Order: sequence, then structure tokens, then C-alpha cells
Amino acid sequence: MNLDDALADWAAATRLPDNTAAEIYQRIIATPAPSALAGPGLNPGWWRRFTAECAVRAITSTQPVPVGRLIPAG
Amino acid sequence: MDREAEFGRLYATHRATVHAYFVGRTGDRWVAADLMQEVFVRVWQRLSELEGKSSDGQRAWIFTVARNLSIDAHRRQGTRAGAEEALRRQPPPGPPATTTAVIAAERVAVLRAAIGRLPEQQRTILALTAAGGLTSTEIATALRVPAGTVRYRLALARRGLATALDNYDNPPAATGER
Repeated sequence: MNLDDALADWAAATRLPDNTAAEIYQRIIATPAPSALAGPGLNPGWWRRFTAECAVRAITSTQPVPVGRLIPAG
Repeated sequence: MDREAEFGRLYATHRATVHAYFVGRTGDRWVAADLMQEVFVRVWQRLSELEGKSSDGQRAWIFTVARNLSIDAHRRQGTRAGAEEALRRQPPPGPPATTTAVIAAERVAVLRAAIGRLPEQQRTILALTAAGGLTSTEIATALRVPAGTVRYRLALARRGLATALDNYDNPPAATGER
């Protein structure tokens, strides 16, 4: 057995079995289509973040300003 | 050609070479399978970027993704350190039945250990050649290194492996015996 034969045996033992490759293929094409990931519209998380930020600002605006942060009148 | 058919063509064309690349980088065919899947998920999601590219251009694009993922994987898991051990761990293909088969299996085990000891760049090129079936020119395109460098590294790798097999076939005489 020469080096090429031994390498061919090593390669055969290293390659991915066809059925495993087919399973991986099926898993990949089952992932969401890119159109669902990034469409022309707004990111679905945008509105949630926006409303949360609005709520935080509305609540913060009702709090008294800490004394240390008051700017003395000139 | 519809989207899935185009992806199927790319998968059939490149999956063995991408897997071989990761075998060379990580030394473990199942880790390599996971990384190969990550590469093709990106291909599936960004298929439009590959449209209109030449075959070499598509290979270069896919291997750019593979290289980046490989770097990330090295950072996360330190796979470089485990590559040699993983290559040694892989069992021989099957139970040998005859003396000839036993010797053949032992030689493959010797070869596997020697491949594990190769520098990573040589091992990757060797895997792309032996398991991926790429030519030195195709490997040069994929890895973006000169074809001469690929041939040089491949020659070094083969020389190292030939020496390992030769040492197995003709063990050096023991010293200190009378």
C-alpha cells in the first residue's frame, strides 16, 4: 500500500456520510427565508424597543431632578 | 433556476471541499460538519450575493465565510490544540478481517497520527486535496494563496507522511543491543 492508497483510505474515513450530508441540507433549507429575516419594512423588534424607550422617558420626566444636577441660575 | 435548486447545486458542488477544509482546520469530522452547516446556512441566507459570480468566485466567497467561521471557532474552542488529539481519536474505518487488512488499517492509523502532527496549513491543504478532491489551483483560489505555495506545502506534507509510513514499514534498528 503506497502513500496515495493510505491517503485515500484516510479520506474515505474522514468524509461526511451521504445521509448526514442530506440531513444537514434539510436542516438548512428549513431555516427561515431571508425575506423573513430582513425585509423592506421595519425590524419587528423596532416598535417594541421604541415604545419601551418612550415609556422610560415618560416616567423619567415625572421624577424630580436630583439636586446635584441642577444648574445654578446665572 | 429557483432558489432551492440553486442552493442545492452549490451544496452538492462545495460541501465535500468545505467539510474537508474544516477537517484540516479542526481535525474532527463532526466538528467540521457543524462548521460546514454554518457556512451553508450563510450561503442559503445570502444566496443573492453569489448570483452572477463565476464558479471560482463562488468558491472564493464560500471559503471566505469558512475561514472567518474557522477563526471564530478557534477563538471559542481552541480547536487548534485539539486537532491532533481528535485526529488520533478517530477510529479506523472498520474491523479488519485479514492480515493484509490489519496491516492496511495500521498504516492508516500511522498516517492519521502523522497528519495530526502536520502544521495546520499543510494539513488543511492535504485534506482539501485528499478528501476534497481540489487541485492546487482550485485550493489557491479558495484560500487566496499562490498556487506555488499550495504545491510547496502539499509536497512538504506528503514528504512528512511518506517518512512516517517508511518508519512504520522499516523501523529504525534499536540501539544499545549486543
